[in-house]
Amino acid sequence: MQSTNANQKNTISWLWLLALTVISVYIGQFLELFNTQKSLFIIVVLFIVFLKGQQIIDIFMELEQAPKLWRRLLLAYVILLPSIIGLIYLL
Amino acid sequence: MNNVISIEAQTALFEEKESPLLAKRLPGDLAMWFFILAELTVFAILFIGFAVSEQLSPEIFAQGKNKLHQISGLINTLTLITSSYFVALALIKMHQGYGKQAAKLLVVAKLVACIYIGVKIWEYLSLFEQGIDIETNTFFTLYFLITFFHLMHVLLGMVILVFVALKAAKNEYNASNISGFESGASYWHMVDMLWIILFPLIYVI
Repeated sequence: MQSTNANQKNTISWLWLLALTVISVYIGQFLELFNTQKSLFIIVVLFIVFLKGQQIIDIFMELEQAPKLWRRLLLAYVILLPSIIGLIYLL
Repeated sequence: MNNVISIEAQTALFEEKESPLLAKRLPGDLAMWFFILAELTVFAILFIGFAVSEQLSPEIFAQGKNKLHQISGLINTLTLITSSYFVALALIKMHQGYGKQAAKLLVVAKLVACIYIGVKIWEYLSLFEQGIDIETNTFFTLYFLITFFHLMHVLLGMVILVFVALKAAKNEYNASNISGFESGASYWHMVDMLWIILFPLIYVI
């Protein structure tokens, strides 16, 4: 039963990751329709990077059940790195 | 009345204290996690270097990005995510003690990863045909450096998965000795996570 739940969790996460990947590629064309600035596009794409990283860390790497320090270290990576990249592009 | 704890709650408390399965533990070897942190740091420097260089030469980078095949980057992202998914499923099977099934899932993961390698080689060859190589300009120097470095990590990850799959097929892992499998899986997920940052940085933004 527990493994069925784990399988389902992984499958949902996988489908979510695939969807986010496709969205991150085509979101630019969608935002162009509304004449939005490139800065918004960059923020959205980098936020998607964080969402995808969080799925991999918590679900695929199973760090959701790991000691908090290691989960936080990895999550800090997918929060800080896209933030730094975003700042470089936007400032 | 309020002080009375139900049998279910007592059982849950006991399991939380006693069951090693429910205790919080790091999957895989600690050494592998330090290695993963070191790898992530190296790639972080490369990614930040790429972003800074783009700000210094925006026109060269815009022209370079236009010459890249975005769909091939998309296919590679989808294949690495799918490969990671099969590795995650393999780990669940291994936790249940089904070594042979876990090994088969790892083979599927590696076959999917082969698509990534094929697409990457095709991408490199198509750029070479256009007369573009590592010395063309700053963008392509960083593009080849970062993507080839990542490709090397994919190849290393596949070698690790071959060893893990062979051991799993021989049922050499068990509930108390599974950290080798978990370490290999974690390394593979790291490779996937790096591409998830690399792809939008080089191909999308």
